[in-house]
Amino acid sequence: MTLKTVERFALIAAWAAVIVGFGIALPGVFLTWTNFSVMFASQAPAALLALALIVPLTAGDYDLSAGATVTLASMIIGVLNVNLGWPILPAVLVALAGGALVGAVNAFFIVLFRIPSLVVTLSTASLITGLVQWMSNSSTIGGIAPGLVDAVSGGQLFGIAYAFYYVLLIGIVLWYVLEYTPLGRRLLFVGRGREVARLVGIGVGTVRAGCLITSGAIAALSGVIYAGLLGAADPVSGLNFLLPAFAAAFLGATSIVPGRFNPWGAIISVYFLSSGITGLAMLGIPMWVTNIFNGAALLLAVTLSQLVRGREETDYA
Amino acid sequence: MRGVIQTAALATVLTWGGASWAATAEEGVARAKAQVEAHRGSPKFVAPGPAFDIKACAAGKKMLSIPNNSTNPFLKGIIDRMIRAKDDTGLEVVEWQNQGQPSQWVQGMEFAAKNKFTAINLISGIDPKTIEPQIKAANAAGIKTMVSHFYDPSQPVNPLVSSSVAIGFNAVGKLLADWTIAKTSGKANIVIIKSDEVPPTAPLVKGITDELAANCPDCKIVQQINVGVTEWGTKIQPSVQAALLANPTVNYVIPIYDSMSQFVVPAVALTGKAATVKIATFNGTPFVIDYVQQGKVEMDIGESIDWIARATVDAHLRDMCGLAVPKELNVPFYIFDASNAKEAGTPATFDKGYGQDYVEGFRKIWKTAP
Repeated sequence: MTLKTVERFALIAAWAAVIVGFGIALPGVFLTWTNFSVMFASQAPAALLALALIVPLTAGDYDLSAGATVTLASMIIGVLNVNLGWPILPAVLVALAGGALVGAVNAFFIVLFRIPSLVVTLSTASLITGLVQWMSNSSTIGGIAPGLVDAVSGGQLFGIAYAFYYVLLIGIVLWYVLEYTPLGRRLLFVGRGREVARLVGIGVGTVRAGCLITSGAIAALSGVIYAGLLGAADPVSGLNFLLPAFAAAFLGATSIVPGRFNPWGAIISVYFLSSGITGLAMLGIPMWVTNIFNGAALLLAVTLSQLVRGREETDYA
Repeated sequence: MRGVIQTAALATVLTWGGASWAATAEEGVARAKAQVEAHRGSPKFVAPGPAFDIKACAAGKKMLSIPNNSTNPFLKGIIDRMIRAKDDTGLEVVEWQNQGQPSQWVQGMEFAAKNKFTAINLISGIDPKTIEPQIKAANAAGIKTMVSHFYDPSQPVNPLVSSSVAIGFNAVGKLLADWTIAKTSGKANIVIIKSDEVPPTAPLVKGITDELAANCPDCKIVQQINVGVTEWGTKIQPSVQAALLANPTVNYVIPIYDSMSQFVVPAVALTGKAATVKIATFNGTPFVIDYVQQGKVEMDIGESIDWIARATVDAHLRDMCGLAVPKELNVPFYIFDASNAKEAGTPATFDKGYGQDYVEGFRKIWKTAP
């Protein structure tokens, strides 16, 4: 077994070790189907957000507005469905379109005016946050239609709430596009070297814009799922998913397809980190320890990956 | 024979001990039920002090009100109502809008000093010790700094502030504990969700633990989960899920501030425990009272923000005019559960459900009643 094969599956092995460790420490409690089914469903918004981030990250752009887009989408549903009495389906569609629009606005400034993505998305994140506070009067809106709640957390398949299957679906689509289509290759070229990509005739601006719009739409889907899980639209907490989602995206880039942002790595990272949090919480360990667990896991994984890969180019270096 | 006597004596002791234990437990449940019942009646106005001519007192005075964060609808609502109450009180109230950053509070203090305000009101969440140099400067400029809805009566008040009207967070904790004792007939197994960084948390949680110790020998706090305010959205749900799965005997979750409950409700639902695990909480935020109406939250202890606004203006004007200042806001806590949550409106609003008794009550002691 080569070192690179070890690297490829190291995160899965670490996840397995965490599961076995907590399984031994918490007999009959941690290693239960209920625990994992609950975890798979409740982490779906975080996993979708991580998937949203890896698309522009692959093309070399940061989307710091994705967390705010989660909040915006759930609040659009809250306002339209609860406050204005819209049926849930049009409200969801407007929320998804809103996410895509955020991506388009980001792309407009990033691609057309050549402003760094970090600056533009930082600005739009702040702008959206203000917009959401205005829309919601900074208050949670409860009472979202049961139709969405049923479609996200009410119904189950193989004992796991539907929320998880939206993650799988987006994961499969991204995996297929990134791995098996010319578009995926173009995206990778743009991320690794914009000038080279431009010189070989790739429409760099179009690819980057497409990535940002996709990111906005997937982040909005995360917001829709979040609203369905809570049965409410919360004006702030989507923002707090952003940094953990970035952590999962980077952690995921050390596994499965090491050196590249990839959907399975990102999804596994989210569930690896949440397994740690769940196990620690079950042991009654204070919550601050979970932040240390998350930070240490990311730092360790990226460092080990860097050691294995030496000077080889990566998406995140 | 001796053995028989010893056994009989032991049995007698055990029986008496058991009987007394049972009696203690029953008495505790009875006390808890009485406390709960006391907070279910229509809230009654209690005068915070002797009557005074509020408009004469307020003439020419203005107060800058600095909330912990202007995006908090609870605090913004209180200040808006203090401003609107000017017709009754005569006091001009100005809000210092901010986003919860201490540097903005500092700016507000300096604004008050430069613009000749009579008093500064730090409302619900600004710890005076974070802006002591500015309070000293305000004192030197003859501007009194007052604190409202922040300290529990058991907590020492910062000596730099002119006065404080406290709110009984400890009493809220006791009432939450009494609710779980009464509802489980003394068999509550509780998970508490708290945020230790917020100053009212300590007296509130102490109220829960003290009341359980006093009234419920068989009740247990299974786990206390401390989650920072900025992490509510990401940490409460997974930690509650973990706690419920690890401890199947849990029958109550107490998120001590009710905005936490939006993350507790899905945790209870996803773990399939909605039938056995109930949620009791505090603040009376409208969307949580909606949850009570929908059966997702069992009870929410509320307080009227219009009542708080009037009680705050009353207390601060007494201070500005050299009268005796009440130590507490005296705004009653009122329990919303399935039986009365609709009184708060559908959807619920901040002021409905508490009656109008206090409006006339204040007008009488302010000598503004027609």
